[in-house]
Amino acid sequence: MSKYELVAGLETHIELATNTKIFCGCTTEFGGEANTHCCPVCIGLPGTLPKLNKRVVEYAIRAGLATNCKIAEISKMDRKNYCYPDLPKAYQISQFDKPLCYEGYVQLSNGRKIRLTRIHIEEDAGKLIHKNGDTYVDYNRGGVPLIEIVSEPDIRSVEEAREYVEKLQQIIRYVGVSDCKMQEGSMRCDVNISVRPQGSDTLGTRTEIKNMNSITFIAKAMEYEFERQVDLIESGGSVVQETLRYDDATNTTSSMRSKEDAHDYRYFREPDLVTISVSKEQVDAIAKTLPELPEAKLQRYVQELGIPQKDAELLTKYRRITEFFESASIGLQNPKTVANFILGSVFKTLETESAKEDFKILTTPAQLNELVKLIESGKIKNNLAKAALDKMLASGKGATDFIDESDMGGLDEAALTELCKQAISSNPAAVEDYKNGKEKALQSLLGYIMKNSRGKADAQAALAMLKDLAV
Amino acid sequence: MINKEDVLNIALLSKLYVADDKLDELTAGMQEIISFADTINSAEVENTEFDNINNLSDVFREDVVVESYPREEILKNAIEQDEGHFLVKKRV
Ligand SMILES: [Zn+2]
Repeated sequence: MSKYELVAGLETHIELATNTKIFCGCTTEFGGEANTHCCPVCIGLPGTLPKLNKRVVEYAIRAGLATNCKIAEISKMDRKNYCYPDLPKAYQISQFDKPLCYEGYVQLSNGRKIRLTRIHIEEDAGKLIHKNGDTYVDYNRGGVPLIEIVSEPDIRSVEEAREYVEKLQQIIRYVGVSDCKMQEGSMRCDVNISVRPQGSDTLGTRTEIKNMNSITFIAKAMEYEFERQVDLIESGGSVVQETLRYDDATNTTSSMRSKEDAHDYRYFREPDLVTISVSKEQVDAIAKTLPELPEAKLQRYVQELGIPQKDAELLTKYRRITEFFESASIGLQNPKTVANFILGSVFKTLETESAKEDFKILTTPAQLNELVKLIESGKIKNNLAKAALDKMLASGKGATDFIDESDMGGLDEAALTELCKQAISSNPAAVEDYKNGKEKALQSLLGYIMKNSRGKADAQAALAMLKDLAV
Repeated sequence: MINKEDVLNIALLSKLYVADDKLDELTAGMQEIISFADTINSAEVENTEFDNINNLSDVFREDVVVESYPREEILKNAIEQDEGHFLVKKRV
């Protein structure tokens, strides 16, 4: 174990999935020709007035409630002044001392709670493209609503940081306020990081790594920065408070600006926007519309449905999967069968994480439900159902397109006995092996039976009968 | 009281250059402005946690898309433009 402990806090920016920007009616749609989703308000022309999008407040409250935050009865907007071409007004409308949500937490699987200082709402900046020595400015993204989720410096390892980001992503997606696509920039993280001797309870000087858009980069940047700070201290130096940029090509951090030229944002009340007041009743009404959250769902799957922890974690990772699973399980005795089919056959057709997240498959929940009902009513065996499911997934057709009447009903005892006898008489070598103590030799006999019954035989019953007949 | 250091610091934050021979004059002027602004502190603001502008709150807009402006209109005041973008000098 290292002599030093890592201490980190995260600031996470998440774009809200509203139809329109935070202060004007321009679309928030991703992409589009440069500067075609703009109006005088979002390019900051003088004389224009911002008007707050109601849904931004509602979505931020949803995010706050889902992360155990308190909701401020009164909050307000402030101007954060800085001069850079991505901000046409030379200030960003944000929230300073009265954020909408405060004092929440996200609980990790090791039981530790990462406290959230606050969640506030603000506008996104435009996009800058540097080429030919000039800067090209596109304000389509300018004014898109963001929430910034600020954590306390409660994170103690790279693994905790990773889990924290994944948990946030999962929760925010569940409550439907953002798709949290890091690769498209709808979720971005700044990491504040410092080190201190193990056992110390004072904070070391921190650096801030800006604007990372993948969990892998966050982990790599933190590892690098932890080592760098430890090396500095070990060699007699000290950490300088500064803002860093992570370069994924070289896996290093480099300075963007030091504390000396840190911005003084000169925050002040935004005079063009009125106070936001949120009543207890409004909060309760929003709370009622929240879905079952990932943690609660996971517990229920494990405790009430008897699904193994690991499987339940995979099922609850994305909301769409849980919706499919729950819909396909309606009226079944054993939802575990559905879970197994999803984690097995269905997942095999969804190779990437984003494919699992989108969960676009040809089979409907009702079709899978019908298939599992055939098993539960004893009409078909599991292995036949599995074969049918593969064909269903490839074609979008229903179970009965691949399983006909003659497949149903399994084999009666007489037919099974007859098949077992045939298997034994046509595989004398295997029978000999079995008699000599090779239990495995029965597998080839079983294979014969399955093939000749078109998968209808019950494997357990067939094995028992083979053992009786062979000796 | 405002001192010369304060003035130089504010000038730095405002990206302004202050010549040495102007410093005394600016410091005095700055002090005057601050004293004037101090009058605001005598205003009666008890019992108001923080101000409501004109006692208004909760003025919202519904989340309904309104057509954006044609790009030519948006770029009309740009000093320089290229390929539908505003063009500015590269900054760090
Ligand atoms: Zn606009």
